[in-house]
Amino acid sequence: MTEFLPFLKNKVIGFLKISDQVARYKAVETIEHEVEELENIFGVLVLGSFIGVPSPPMQISLDLMPFMEKELILMLEKVDTANAPISQLFSVLNIG
Amino acid sequence: MINRFFMGKGGVGKSTSAALMAVFLAQRGYQVLMISLDPAHNQSDIFERNLTDKPLEIFPRLFAMEINQQTWIRAYLKDVHSHIKKTYSYLTSFNLEKYFSVIKHSPGLEEYALILAFEKIRKDYSHYDYLIFDMPPTALSLKFFSLPSLSLVWIDHLLALRREIIRKRELITKVKMLGKEFEADKVLRKIEAQHHQYQTLKDTFEDTEQTQLFLVLNPDKLSHAESLRIFNSLREIDIQLFHAVYNKRPVDEYCADIDPVFGHIPVLNFPFSKIPLIGLTNLQNFLNTNKSVLENQKIFL
Repeated sequence: MTEFLPFLKNKVIGFLKISDQVARYKAVETIEHEVEELENIFGVLVLGSFIGVPSPPMQISLDLMPFMEKELILMLEKVDTANAPISQLFSVLNIG
Repeated sequence: MINRFFMGKGGVGKSTSAALMAVFLAQRGYQVLMISLDPAHNQSDIFERNLTDKPLEIFPRLFAMEINQQTWIRAYLKDVHSHIKKTYSYLTSFNLEKYFSVIKHSPGLEEYALILAFEKIRKDYSHYDYLIFDMPPTALSLKFFSLPSLSLVWIDHLLALRREIIRKRELITKVKMLGKEFEADKVLRKIEAQHHQYQTLKDTFEDTEQTQLFLVLNPDKLSHAESLRIFNSLREIDIQLFHAVYNKRPVDEYCADIDPVFGHIPVLNFPFSKIPLIGLTNLQNFLNTNKSVLENQKIFL
């Protein structure tokens, strides 16, 4: 009995911690997606000339480029899902 | 230090007018640096010297140099490329290699090369009283002057969008990591630095105590028409003309008056010279013969 109680206590604490973490991740899931979309828009705006979109003066893009590897990769990844935006939205909103 | 720019339609005598101004100011005791931003590089021919990207003494207190746009474009792209190699993963950087071989031909880089050269010259040669810039043909000159304003429009939008991203990202970090410290955003810092750079340039171009624009024109219709377009384009970006230079004005002959649009701008009348204005001696002789052209004008510091 003396061994069981601390074991149970640890399990409950562990469960609560995980629940807390899950709740936190759930709470920001949609915002995270929104940020990803904004970062994609930003990438397209700055580096649009690489995919044929009107873009700022070349030197603005070139000056920012060394710091934008993440956006560049994200932008290229988005190309794969660009033809199915509705299914992507449904997956974000957990529909279906 | 004052920046004086000579611009106008091709062939009106921008380089000669700039050279005359440079010689005149040096004769009056000012330290003058003449910089040719025109790819045609007429200053080497006018002063009959081989000019490079380092100031060469032409006359006591008068120095001259030429800027090669292509050299500046190459140096700039090399810098960006090496920066990308340092910050990107090998594979991404490798995939971008092929773009860099074509970027050097992109529109917009020529005027940016001139802007970079202008900033460097202002920084390195600030001990001169006058920096006289012999500008390239109209289209490129106008792009040069409008680059800061145009870039600021983009930068303001990018700045607002980036701040929105960071605000949301901080919110996520706060919830997930219970308020750990945020990493400073390098992209935001770079956009802010760009904003500062272009705002400083814009302020410099709009300040008539730092930037003085001389619009060179000839007594003919085409030159008047193009000068009018230059005048209006500059006005749209809040840049004022300092003087108009009415060059090659015929002596003892009827000549159309300068367009009334330029009426409120002081005009320097450079008469037509029968002797080609090439070589320091000819330039000095011209100034001695036409003393009143520049002497009575309020064109000094």
